[in-house]
Amino acid sequence: MADSANAPKPSSSVKLVLLGEAAVGKSSLVLRFVNNDFQENKEPTIGAAFLTQKCNLPTRTIKFEIWDTAGQERFASLAPMYYRNAQAALVVYDLTKPTSLVKAKHWVAELQRQASPGIVIALVGNKLDLTNDGNGEGAESGGEGASAEDSGDARKVTTEEAKTYAEDENLLFFETSAKTGYNVTEVFTAIANAIPETSLKSARGAAASHAASRAEEQRVNLNGPRDPNAKEGCAC
Amino acid sequence: MLNLSSFVQRAQQLLDPTQGLNLTDSDKNPSKASLFQNQFRLPASQHPLFEITAELTIPPSNITQGDKNGDRGYHYAGKLHLSESYLCFSTTPSSFLQSASTSTASAFTGQTHGGGPSGNGFSFPLCSIRRVERLHSQNFQFALAITTWNGVPQEPGKDKDATKDKRETREQRITIQLAGPRVSCERFCDGLKKGLRGAVGSVGRLRKVVAECYSEYLLRPEDKKNATPPDAGLGMLFRYPGDPKKLRDRAKMRLWAEYLRDNGRNVTLIRQPTFHKLIRVGLPNRLRGEIWELTSGSVYLRLENPTLYADTLAKFSGQESLAIDEIEKDLNRSLPEYPGFQSEEGIGRLRRVLTAYSWVNPDVGYCQAMNIVVAALLIYMSESQAFFLLSALCDRLVPGYYSTTMYGTLLDQKVFESCVEKTMPILWEHLVKSDVQLSVVSLPWFLSLYVNSMPLVFAFRVLDVFFVEGPKVLFQVGLAILRINGEELLDATDDGAFISVLKAYFARLDESAHPKSENPKLRAVTRFQELMVVAFKEFSGITHSSIMELRLKNKDAVLNNIESFAKRTAIRNLGPDSKLLSTEELASLYDRFYGVLYERQQRDHIIKQQEHARRSKSSRPRATEVVSNEEGVEKGRVGLGPSTSLMDYDAFREFLAGMAKWAISDSPTTPRLDSFAEKDRGFYNSFRKSDVLMSPWGAGPEPADHEFLQRLFRKWDVDSTSALTLQNVVTGLARIKGKRDIMGTITYFFELHDDNGDGKVDREGILRMSEALLFLTRRGLEGDLSPSNSTLALNGLSDGVNSPQGDIPGQSLNERFLGSVSAFIRRCFEYADPDHPNNHYSGPADRGEIEESDDDQLANPDAFAIGDDDDSEDDLLEMDSPPGSPKAAKRSDTSSNQAPPSLQLNSSTAPSTLNSDASDRRRVSRAQSEKANIALDPSNPLHITLPTFRMVVLADELLEQFFESSFPASFHITGGLTSSSSQTPTSALTTFSSLGMGAGRAVGAALGGGSAAGGAGVPAGGRGLRGVLDNIVTDGMRVAAEVRRRMEEAQKELEKNALPGQKGEDDEDEDEDEAIPGFEGRMTAGRSSATYGGDAERRSVRSSDRDLLAGADAEASDVNLPGADEAETGGSSGRQERGDSASTRSGNSGTGGKVVGVEFDG
Repeated sequence: MADSANAPKPSSSVKLVLLGEAAVGKSSLVLRFVNNDFQENKEPTIGAAFLTQKCNLPTRTIKFEIWDTAGQERFASLAPMYYRNAQAALVVYDLTKPTSLVKAKHWVAELQRQASPGIVIALVGNKLDLTNDGNGEGAESGGEGASAEDSGDARKVTTEEAKTYAEDENLLFFETSAKTGYNVTEVFTAIANAIPETSLKSARGAAASHAASRAEEQRVNLNGPRDPNAKEGCAC
Repeated sequence: MLNLSSFVQRAQQLLDPTQGLNLTDSDKNPSKASLFQNQFRLPASQHPLFEITAELTIPPSNITQGDKNGDRGYHYAGKLHLSESYLCFSTTPSSFLQSASTSTASAFTGQTHGGGPSGNGFSFPLCSIRRVERLHSQNFQFALAITTWNGVPQEPGKDKDATKDKRETREQRITIQLAGPRVSCERFCDGLKKGLRGAVGSVGRLRKVVAECYSEYLLRPEDKKNATPPDAGLGMLFRYPGDPKKLRDRAKMRLWAEYLRDNGRNVTLIRQPTFHKLIRVGLPNRLRGEIWELTSGSVYLRLENPTLYADTLAKFSGQESLAIDEIEKDLNRSLPEYPGFQSEEGIGRLRRVLTAYSWVNPDVGYCQAMNIVVAALLIYMSESQAFFLLSALCDRLVPGYYSTTMYGTLLDQKVFESCVEKTMPILWEHLVKSDVQLSVVSLPWFLSLYVNSMPLVFAFRVLDVFFVEGPKVLFQVGLAILRINGEELLDATDDGAFISVLKAYFARLDESAHPKSENPKLRAVTRFQELMVVAFKEFSGITHSSIMELRLKNKDAVLNNIESFAKRTAIRNLGPDSKLLSTEELASLYDRFYGVLYERQQRDHIIKQQEHARRSKSSRPRATEVVSNEEGVEKGRVGLGPSTSLMDYDAFREFLAGMAKWAISDSPTTPRLDSFAEKDRGFYNSFRKSDVLMSPWGAGPEPADHEFLQRLFRKWDVDSTSALTLQNVVTGLARIKGKRDIMGTITYFFELHDDNGDGKVDREGILRMSEALLFLTRRGLEGDLSPSNSTLALNGLSDGVNSPQGDIPGQSLNERFLGSVSAFIRRCFEYADPDHPNNHYSGPADRGEIEESDDDQLANPDAFAIGDDDDSEDDLLEMDSPPGSPKAAKRSDTSSNQAPPSLQLNSSTAPSTLNSDASDRRRVSRAQSEKANIALDPSNPLHITLPTFRMVVLADELLEQFFESSFPASFHITGGLTSSSSQTPTSALTTFSSLGMGAGRAVGAALGGGSAAGGAGVPAGGRGLRGVLDNIVTDGMRVAAEVRRRMEEAQKELEKNALPGQKGEDDEDEDEDEAIPGFEGRMTAGRSSATYGGDAERRSVRSSDRDLLAGADAEASDVNLPGADEAETGGSSGRQERGDSASTRSGNSGTGGKVVGVEFDG
């Protein structure tokens, strides 16, 4: 994921938002992707953090504008502010915490209804390093059932369950470890590939979707009749 | 006087719990007390009691500064205010007396404009005043010399040498000349005297509190400085951020020491113009915490309860909470760049402060960003100081910022945007055009008070000013940042570029603002200094009041946004059951659910207000005015943060009453119609009083209380918490309404009555089921009496209805339904399984006996109908409700009737002496039927199972329809009840009864039978109850007798199937006819028992039901006409008698058996 921007390749920006329960490793995923680094103690994200990273595809370069949101429940009402106009979303859950998948499903539902139409959503189960699969980096679902019990596997969400859900909802699906770096770049590459060419035309890459998302915005913010003049999309 | 006004204000305080939020409607007209508290940053316990115009004279500091000899000192004209335990002076001439107009109370000047301590002056806790002397002065001037305890800490253990030293023992002494009539001066002094006397006890506390202030140590003479200085934050251990030399910390300290020496320290500090200037140039490290504490007013909170922090930690030691989990996650990542927070010491302090606060304010708990703010505070102050400062922040300075909905944060973002739009229209336009969302960058500024946006040293400078001047500082600084970077921001076209411009700016705050300037002085100005100048000069128009105004303006929009987001999220997350309901239904349920909870909270407030008003009115007429100011309290709004999200039983009733007709009480305890007012007087007196006080239902209809509701509540309350969540309600309703599956509904209904879950419902349960059926349908199927579409549709479905009278489609249906229910009971007993194999209906019933019991039975259709009458609902409930239910008191007089019906027979016979002949008759028949009635014999228990129940229901077309559509449809989730029907239950009921009266078919029977029931309307409540119970009992007997007879018939005939036994129905009708003459007598007796008007009303209802039942039975058997005619005759005779007794209510009843919709004359 080097910044070797090849001049002839078309370059475009993609706004990507990370959502998910607190402490599932959103910021860590981004940090791994952007800096190929991992910190045990990352400052909590207040509101949202903004980072950028380029992703080179054979045919084009995608510049990700990453919005890493705060995970604490009460920040949820701020989320619409960040996912507006997003062309891609990473919904992260913790493989060792079933409730985080529930929360992830909520986010998926929220995005599907409120975010820009055509948003590419990836469901990401993080902390694979805490499971047996993560140890060998095999991620083969074969060993799961048998070995989970006896070897202190911290996995609480089966690949099968999350995968089935992802398929039902038409999401990209990955299991990653921000700690080991396993599968992290793959997620972003897959998203870059999944972004429809049409929405990448403009300089910022989002112009096409802007009009649509603008209209969408009205819905997102439910600004209602009381507040028709207010700037859209603000304050949830 | 003192007590009284303080009481009024306390009441006011109580009524306005949100005043600290500065967000509610009370904001438009803020209470004087809250303005006062804001102005002097006093705790919420303080209220302006007295005030007087005065002149403050601060003596020249000649002792320390000999060069000021000859100076007469400083003079300030202003107002002196006295609260419960504070004496405050301000040059701001605002008045906080009740008599003062709002404009004088809110006319603030100075830098804070009411957002904090403004003007020159002081806020002395009374306990810090050592002595007040009345000065002898010329011109009859009223002058006080006030000496504070300031200097006392220097004295303990004072030796003679020290006392000699003037510098050490110097007292802080100020003079105040009161202006105004002597009387008011005297009054003020009296108040002060009282206050001072009360404050004596707090002196010790004060001493402990100020001991934590660094100034005490600072001003100590050199030789006593060997003691360890008080904790001035982690900075003492890990160094304070920034280069002290560059910060000129030493010079600042010197200046402050001088100022404190002259003007008092910590709580006795007097604000003079230098004070504000000293703050704006930045506080010295060691004094920073203390001045923050002082200017924010948190020191007064600490003074109120110095041990709260330690106590809280001790109290909750070892306990766990969600907030603690969240705190733990963030401890290692709060200002990690500061060495103190890489150590266990710093992290431990942070943990304790955040944890303690999450315990004292569970509504806020812990919000990310608090960790950063508290970490910043802890660098400069002790744990306990930081704890109270955090309280002051959350409650007053940045209200709602860290709440669970973060509405304060969102609101201030809106306000900030408005400010930008107003002050920098070009930049604003650019932002809009390039679709950059300002709050994306500005939200963290506000939420963490710039602490993690700017380099720490500068963030603390902002905080210095913020604590004294209030939240407007955050706006001023934010606007200045945008203004200074305006050019570059205009080039930025997306969020990313926008953010990086500002990031770069913050990183260079310490650089020269004019690096290329020729002028060395100008070159020396840093970017931060420039920022401060721009913020406070250029944006001096941003004042506390202008911010408040904008907050008020944007509040609704923000709260609505939050609420719709919360709603959207909540609905989406309701789980699989919610899928059974439509989105509209869910949305509507959500609104109803929270609407009811909100309304109830509001009403609670109003009730409290009324009580306060009542109490204070007696002594002070203005109290009402106080109260009326408080109407806009919005506690409980979802957007404002955590409020009740649990629905108790009463709320549940109210909730149901909003969407189901049957859940509306027929007998509102708060009379709506005159007729009901009259009726209520007698019978409901007992519980009405308490009800009115305890549970007024607001504008909505009063909900009914029926056993069915209780069962439903218990069923939905899956966690047995005696409270329902939205999830419970949705799941509960989804099971009834969602499936639209008759089998499901039948099962549900059965399970609802299967108390122990063993799949059996016993005799009692069967009766309860039928009561529930009648209860649910007493306003007609679909709950609609006016011929609505649904009713008509349903009517159309029911082919058996012969209703030429098209205007009353509901009636015949209802009639028929009553019949169905009666048949239901019959069949239930018929097909019930005995609990013991040897329990068979073995009684040899000879024909005569049957006739006798039939005789009895004729009274019973009506008696049975009573089961769905308004008052009997309660009564029925009585019988069934478990001991200890809220109705226990009322039940006392019917306690003898609590036994199973058959046992009640005896006891209930006795009191019906009024209608002696009838009761004789009854007794005979009862005795006979008792013999016959094995079904009612408690020694022969029986039960029905779900398959039986299902079969019985399906055997009846109407019941089937009820379960298939009517019952689920009776929950009008989306549309709610139409205004006409929900408007008042009584009117609906009146219509019902008028319908009944109009039907008039079996009025005689009805009236006759009504005697027993009629007793219920008679003032003697006990008899009324008995009467009703009597009827239920006899009804049971009737059923039993019927069952028995049917059994015989069944033996005779081979056919024993689900079809209604036509023969039996015929008999019934004939029996009814027979009954009429006999009952007239009873009727007379009943009538003579006074309170006729109300009674008649009641009776009419009852009779109508009875009538309906009779009619329905008749109809069902298709041989009703002759019977009905005869009944009508009987009815008219009964009616005549009633007419005699001045009630013309039933006057029209005789006009025709099927004419309905007749109006009452009376």
